[in-house]
Amino acid sequence: MTKNTKDKKPAAPQADAKKPEAVSILQKSIKDLTLEDYAAIEKHIGTSSRPFPMWGPQRVENGNRSEIETVLSFIADDANPLKIYSERPYEEVIALAYCDMPVPSMLPIFKDGIERRGDPLLRQKDLLEGRQPQNENFNRTQMMIGDPGHGKSFLGALQGRLRSKGSVEIYDCGGKNMNDLLFEMVLDFGAADALPKAIDKRLKAGSLEDMSMGLVAQLNNLEKMPESVKGEKAIAEWKEQARIVTFGDDGKASIDWAKLRTGGEEKIQGAFDILTKVSKIEGLDNAGGNALGMNSQFGALIRAFIEKREIVLDEYNKSREGSDNALQTVIQFMIGELRECTVDNPLKNKDNTSGPSSFTFKRDDMGAGFFVTFTGNKTEDGSTTRSLNKSVYDRLKPDTLPDPDVIDWQHRICQMMVGLPVSTIYNTFKDQADENPEAFGEWLMWLRETKAKVEGTPMPELQQTLLANWKDVVSASEKLALFYDRWATLSDAEKITSAAPDLIEEVDEEYSKKEGMSFRRIKQHLEEAQPIRAKMQPVDTPTKAEFSPWTKPPKLAEQIEENPSLNYGTRLIEYIERMVYEKSGAVGKNKLYSKLVKAMEEYGLRDITLKEGERSRQKSVESSLNISAFADKDLNKQAQIARKIFCNYVRQMDPSIEAEDDQIITSKKFLDALKHVQSTETAMTNELFVANRDPEQLYAGQPLAEAIIKDAAAYVREKKKVDFDLDDLVHHDDFVAALALPTVGAKNLASIWDQNIRPMMRDGASPQADNAAASADGAQGPAANQNSSGAQRRNDGLSMAENTSAHGIATTSLQVLYSDEEGERAVSVHIVRNNLRDRTLVVGEKVPSKLLAAFREAGVIHVDRNDPAAQAKVETALSDLTRGMPAVVKDHLTDAFKYRNTVDSGYLREQHGSAVPKDKAAEKAFLTEARAEYMEGKALAELMVTPEVTMYFPKFVTKKANQGPR
Amino acid sequence: MPQQPGQDMTQETLKQVGAAAAQQNAMERGARFLAHGTRLFTVPAGWESQMIRQDKGVPSCETMLELEAAMRDEDVRVIFIPLDALLTDVDIEKICERNGVTKTLFKEVRT
Repeated sequence: MTKNTKDKKPAAPQADAKKPEAVSILQKSIKDLTLEDYAAIEKHIGTSSRPFPMWGPQRVENGNRSEIETVLSFIADDANPLKIYSERPYEEVIALAYCDMPVPSMLPIFKDGIERRGDPLLRQKDLLEGRQPQNENFNRTQMMIGDPGHGKSFLGALQGRLRSKGSVEIYDCGGKNMNDLLFEMVLDFGAADALPKAIDKRLKAGSLEDMSMGLVAQLNNLEKMPESVKGEKAIAEWKEQARIVTFGDDGKASIDWAKLRTGGEEKIQGAFDILTKVSKIEGLDNAGGNALGMNSQFGALIRAFIEKREIVLDEYNKSREGSDNALQTVIQFMIGELRECTVDNPLKNKDNTSGPSSFTFKRDDMGAGFFVTFTGNKTEDGSTTRSLNKSVYDRLKPDTLPDPDVIDWQHRICQMMVGLPVSTIYNTFKDQADENPEAFGEWLMWLRETKAKVEGTPMPELQQTLLANWKDVVSASEKLALFYDRWATLSDAEKITSAAPDLIEEVDEEYSKKEGMSFRRIKQHLEEAQPIRAKMQPVDTPTKAEFSPWTKPPKLAEQIEENPSLNYGTRLIEYIERMVYEKSGAVGKNKLYSKLVKAMEEYGLRDITLKEGERSRQKSVESSLNISAFADKDLNKQAQIARKIFCNYVRQMDPSIEAEDDQIITSKKFLDALKHVQSTETAMTNELFVANRDPEQLYAGQPLAEAIIKDAAAYVREKKKVDFDLDDLVHHDDFVAALALPTVGAKNLASIWDQNIRPMMRDGASPQADNAAASADGAQGPAANQNSSGAQRRNDGLSMAENTSAHGIATTSLQVLYSDEEGERAVSVHIVRNNLRDRTLVVGEKVPSKLLAAFREAGVIHVDRNDPAAQAKVETALSDLTRGMPAVVKDHLTDAFKYRNTVDSGYLREQHGSAVPKDKAAEKAFLTEARAEYMEGKALAELMVTPEVTMYFPKFVTKKANQGPR
Repeated sequence: MPQQPGQDMTQETLKQVGAAAAQQNAMERGARFLAHGTRLFTVPAGWESQMIRQDKGVPSCETMLELEAAMRDEDVRVIFIPLDALLTDVDIEKICERNGVTKTLFKEVRT
């Protein structure tokens, strides 16, 4: 390990040399603790002001009856709180206890572990305070048995981490002789590990001799596989456990020196022989310091006792059968049955070394920090897992962990998503959190940030955003937990016999072991969803490849940075969908696949659809976890984001502006502008706010200008001439820039919808609109809309133009000013909005690139109609916006579009040339027919990007001055 | 040319800011969750990995011996694993499993 020390200060003079480190209080014997020590290390959790979640059986009143139920409640006891004896500062203990909290079903074991660790210390405190000790519990062990990946060793280590800053030793008992825990053989490389370092250096440089490489590979065969290990899986598992050398993708070998260094007599003798040969071949035996020897030493358990620290004996029931005889009296000592016990070193005199001959465990030497956690797998886990002797069970009294419940899945999902179990914490403080969500959210953020300080790194941005939206995380994690729980049941050969007997042919025991749902799999899903990766395009997307020689790297479009939380939900659900298919449908388990797909729908992973085919207002998992930076409800933060977007936009529109953001507009002024927008009711008056680039008004602190929609149809109805001209229109870019601003965009999107068509159809002032609807009806084949009449369809189209559709989808078109080399003109902007998913498609002209990233945050998909791939992009966006809706919705959307748009008469005249009649009435009839023919059967995507489709009776976005008829 | 007063401080601050930015960037790309809450982030070889490597408080571990020692060092919270380290992913997982402690690992990878 190399620490970068070059910038360090020179060593201090000898007189100021480092003071000897104070001995940790936990490394004192319990009998030597003083009341001052207790004041320093006793940390309370679960008090009335700081309750701690707890899970367990409780008598619950149900009407007139009371029943025992397992519930999630809390400990809040000022007289008897949970006491953690820790050398960590209080806030670190709290952050770890809450953020790394075990799943609810393991909380009772966690509590028991805290109490067992504390009991002898409490007894000593009672004695120091002259009280009769409340307990005589000297048990310094805890054992738990559960499924792999349940978090047993995590829990054991967590208890150690809560108390001490150091690493907790996790001793893998798998395949090992348990007597090695007391005395073991060790390779002695000398103080500085010179020989291993020299060999590592050559392995890294690839300069180790071939013969040495061959010998190094033999280090994997040092231990003989016991005859009891049978079966392909068990053999593979055993080999993995015994592996000392691994080979990387580059073929380089790495040696696990820590694992090689210790073990039984046979293994260490073999390792010694091999390394002696390697040392000779490499010429390392002549170099000074490359010592190599063999010795016997205290095993891991005795070392932990001497050093007064925690140790986790992991997978204890995967150790070698019959190898723990010498351990039995030690276990009796550790559980408090014996005051002391002596164990002899069986290796002494066999190795001709100076190793210890025996060790005596004494209660008086018991350290405050010493504790042993035993973990074991359930015996049905595999053939390498064995049933322990009755005496071991009697002494260690293992707790068997229950199968994970929905609340456990949810807890772990939250921990992986945001770094703390927000669901369990929320359920514990539900009433208070609902009453004051802001304060609860701030406290959650404090917990997570404190844990980040312990970890020494900043909190990841994705976690920050998700935690700021903790309600969405709780809602999404609950649905995910229910889904994973169903998946766990459907992939469990035992459970399906009652839960889904029709799966018996598809789900057998082997499948359960291989593909059964577990915390590890969920972890993998969540890991995979985090990074933004290249995405496969929909199957019918047209390709736009260049067919010239590809000799140079491609020119890439301007990179738009994406906030990692913006599409996190989509990435997660797409990955889960893929896994569901790969683990079931793709391997011929079709019944299982259809059940899993149904479960995804039932628990609203992607879309929540009601029975009538309408979409629910409840958010799906995907929507809940797709979190935009705009979602922050704090107006100050929104103003900061909006100002940044606005200033970048202003500078890009006029490159001569080099002013900093503050010089363009201050944060305070932008905040004031947003407050004004937020407090103004505009939906019914069709008023808007647009970006204001007028230098004088900007200088006066007005980044937004007011605008209003003027409907040409209203002027016709009232037989008035339009009272505005091209100069009065809002510029296209200022209009769309406002859609990219938080608060402003949302306000505008509520104010642009049609309010005129229905009344105009009643008073007959809009025969075109009626005709359009009728012609649209005529164009629709019966198969496309079997269940709705023409009137119903017209009504659905109208609802979509008015943004009142039950499907939550709407479309409209507006006209704004645009200027380019062809001069100034009015252009159409088409808008399609899915209110439930807060996504909007805007089809218009090219926009300044600085707006593109902001559009993503705002949930706006912008398509430049001049882009060669515009139609395909609109089609993709429409498919996304109408996802999960009946196919007929797209037809109704097309109808809604046709209320305001049709093919340009000039275009039809040009196309039909001399065929167009000269007589006015005849020409009108001809064009009506030609128009219907043109529009018939055309897809909405095509209509939206085709230049010949223009608005009639446009809705103009004008600068707000005097209001005309609307 | 004589050094301007405060120049060292500026360089140092720049290094710290650079290291923090590089860590934050790596974290945005997502983590692998290893045992006991340890997270492994990947850092593309380049300025970001250079910045983290240069961070004085972050040891660079090239072998299992070095990684094991860093995991057991109470003062170490963040660890850098260079591209050419003699460590496979299996080795890293194994070391994290047998050390019950939470650390943050940044592993340099090819771009």
